[in-house]
Amino acid sequence: MELILEQVSISLGNAVLVQPFSLAIGAGETETLMGPSGSGKSSLLAFIAGDLPPPLRGQGRVRLGGRDLGPLLPETRRIGRLFQDDMLFPHLTVGENLLFGMARRARAERLSRMREALAAAGLEGFEARAPHTLSGGQRNRVALFRALLAGPEAILLDEPFASLDMDLRNSMRSFVFTHLKERRIPSLLVTHDLADAPAGGRVLTIDSGGLVAA
Amino acid sequence: MKSSFPQAVGIGLVALLWVLPLAASLMAFTVAAFDLPAWSGLLHHPQLPKALLLSLWTGTAGLALAFAAAMLITMGIYGGARWQKLQVFTAAGLSIPHLAFAIGFGFLIMPSGFLGRLLAGGSEPPQWVTAQDPLGFALIACLALKETPFLIAMAWSVLAQGDVAPALRGQWRSARSLGHGAGSVWLRVLLPQILPRLQWPILLVWVYGTTVVDMALAIGPTQPPTLAVIVWTDLNHAAVDINGRGSAGAMLLTLMLAAIAALIFFGLPPAAKKMRDFMTAGPSRLRVPKTWAVFLTVAMIVIYGLVLVTLAAMSIAGQWPYPQFLPDTFRFAAWQNLYSNSGPAVLSLALALACSALALGLTVLWFEVVAARLDRALTIASVASLALPALAVASGQYRLFLDLNLTGTLSGLFLAHFTPVFAYVFIVLKGPYRAFDPRFRAVAHGLNAGALRFWLGVKAPLMKAALATAAAVGFSVSMVQFVPAQLIAAGRFSTLPMEAVTLASGGARALTAAYALTLAVLPALAFLLVQMLGRPRWSQAWS
Repeated sequence: MELILEQVSISLGNAVLVQPFSLAIGAGETETLMGPSGSGKSSLLAFIAGDLPPPLRGQGRVRLGGRDLGPLLPETRRIGRLFQDDMLFPHLTVGENLLFGMARRARAERLSRMREALAAAGLEGFEARAPHTLSGGQRNRVALFRALLAGPEAILLDEPFASLDMDLRNSMRSFVFTHLKERRIPSLLVTHDLADAPAGGRVLTIDSGGLVAA
Repeated sequence: MKSSFPQAVGIGLVALLWVLPLAASLMAFTVAAFDLPAWSGLLHHPQLPKALLLSLWTGTAGLALAFAAAMLITMGIYGGARWQKLQVFTAAGLSIPHLAFAIGFGFLIMPSGFLGRLLAGGSEPPQWVTAQDPLGFALIACLALKETPFLIAMAWSVLAQGDVAPALRGQWRSARSLGHGAGSVWLRVLLPQILPRLQWPILLVWVYGTTVVDMALAIGPTQPPTLAVIVWTDLNHAAVDINGRGSAGAMLLTLMLAAIAALIFFGLPPAAKKMRDFMTAGPSRLRVPKTWAVFLTVAMIVIYGLVLVTLAAMSIAGQWPYPQFLPDTFRFAAWQNLYSNSGPAVLSLALALACSALALGLTVLWFEVVAARLDRALTIASVASLALPALAVASGQYRLFLDLNLTGTLSGLFLAHFTPVFAYVFIVLKGPYRAFDPRFRAVAHGLNAGALRFWLGVKAPLMKAALATAAAVGFSVSMVQFVPAQLIAAGRFSTLPMEAVTLASGGARALTAAYALTLAVLPALAFLLVQMLGRPRWSQAWS
C-alpha cells in the first residue's frame, strides 16, 4: 500500500501556502515534514484526510493503494490520524474508544481484538477505565491502537509527541513507528523537532519556496 | 467544508421559520406606527409625559441598582472560595420568571405580608404604600433584584472564559505586585476589560426594564402607569384608532430608547479618554468591599427565598389574622382550582416543549450545515430582536397575523412564542457548539465514522450539557411569554402568564400565588433536569 501525493498545493485566497509538490510514501515508511508555524503543514494533512476547512483550498491528487481519494468523503478514505492531544472521546471508556472505529463483526470477535490491543499497549484490564484516569503515555498508546484497530491504510501524525516529556517521548516514538512498520502502513509525520523523525525515513521541509529534502 | 445544498436548506428553514416572520412583523409594526392621526392621539394623551418619564426612571434606576449590586458582588467574590458557588446563586435567580417574582415580591412587601408582620408588628397592618407606589419604587426594586443575577452571570462568563481567565488572573497578580490593592486592580485593570463585553447585556436589561408590561401590571405604578402599560392597554383595545395609538406609543418608546442608547454610545469614548488618567494615576491600596459583597449576596438569597415561601404560603393560607406569622388554617382550594382548570398550564407546557425542541433542532441544523462565517448575521438579528422592546415586535406580529388570519390560532400562538425562543437558543448554543474541537471529527473520520454516527456517538454526548442548557433556556423563555401571547391568542387561548397577570389585578390572592408559583417552578424544574442530565460523567477530566 502506497500513499502518493501528486502536485499537491495549499492556498489561501491568492497566496500559495504550500507550493505544488509530489511525494510517494511506501508501505511501512514514515516521511517527516518540518517547517515553521503557519507554513501549512497541518493544512496539508487535513487536505490529505479530506477535511481542509475553508477558506483554505487544496489542489492536486492524493492516491492511496491505487484509489484516487479526491471524490471520497473523509470517513471512507481509511486514513487514521493522531494529534498532539490524544483526542480520546472522554464520554467513552478506554475499551469503548477502541471499539469505536472497529469494523462490524461478531461482538465476541470485536471484544477479543480490543483486549488483544490493550495487551499490546500494555494496558490489560484497563477497558472499563475512563480516559482521564490514564497517564499521558497510556492515553497516547490507546489513541494509537484506536487508530490501528480501524484498519487504516495510511496514518497522518500531527505532532503526536509534542506534549510528552523526554523519556515518554522516546518510548512512544519507537512504540508508534514499530507498530506502523510491522503493519506496513505508510505514514506522514508533521513535527517541529527533528529528533522525532524515525531513523531511515526521509525528512522534508516546507518553506516559502516549496518542499525540499532537509 | 459545508456543501451548498444542505447549507441552502439550513438557511432556507431558518429564514422561513424565524427571519421572515420577524422581518415581516417589524415591517408591519413600522407601517402601523407611522400613522399621523395615531401620533396625534398619542401626543394628546394626558398621561404621556409622566408615563414616559416613569418608564425611563424605573428602567434606568432598576438597571443602575442591578449593575452596582452585580459589580459589588462580583468584585468581592472574584477569585475567592465562594467564586464557584456564585454560579449556583445566579442560576437559581435566573430560573425564576420575572412575573412570578414580581407577584411574590408584591405579596411579601404588602402591608399585611411577611415583611409587615416581621418588621411592623402592631394589631393592624401598617399604612405602607408598597406595591403600585406612584414613583415605581417597588417596580425598581423588583427589576434590580431580578436583573442582578443576570448581570453577575454575564460578568462571570467573561471572567471565567477559557482563554481569558488565565490572562486576567495573571494581570491581577502582576498589578498586585506593582503595589495596587485588590479594589484598585478591579477598577483599573479588570473592569475596563470586561465592561465592553457587558454592553449588550446592559442594553438588554435597560430595554427590558423600561418596556416591561407584565411586571409593571403586577407591581408598577397605576396613576399614571408606565408608558409600556398605556401602550399595552391601547394595543388590546377594540377600537382601531386606539389600537393605532398603541403602535405609535410602542414606536415612541423604541425611538426614545434608541436615541438615548445612541447618545450614550457616542458619548462614552470621550468619557473613557478621561478615565485613562484615573487608570494611570499610580498604585492605590483600595480594597474590595468583601463584607458588603457577602452581605448583599446573603440578603438577595434571603429575599428570593422569602418570595418563594410567600407564594407557597399565600397559595394555601386560609384564615391568616394579622400579625400572626403563620396562618390559622390551610386550604388547598387554589391548587384544586388550578388542577381542575389545567388548560393554561398544559398549553404553556406544550408550547414550551414544542418551541424549545424546534428551536434546538433548527439551531443544531444551522451549526452543522451552514458555514460559521454566516453566524454573525444571525447573531446580530437575534440580539437585535431581543434588544427591541417586546411591545414593538409583538404589535407588528399582531398586525401581520391579523392579515394572515393567524391571530387566535394555535399556529400563530406557536410562532409568537417561537420568535424569542429561537433567538435565545441560538445565542446560548453558538459559543459551545462552534468551540467544539474539530479534531474529534477528524479522528472519527479516521475511524470510518460517517456524519450521523459521529454526531450521535461523539458530538451529541459531548455537547449534552450545552444542548440541555439551550433547551432549558428555550423552555423557560417560552413559559414566560406574556405580551405576544396575549395579543396573538386574541382571547381564544390562555396560558399561565396570561392567567397570572389577570389574577394579579383581582383579589384572588391564593389563586394568584398558586399560578405564580407554578410559573416559577416549571422553568426551575427544567434547569434542575439540565443539572441532572447535562452533567458529564467525565467531568473530572476537565476540572
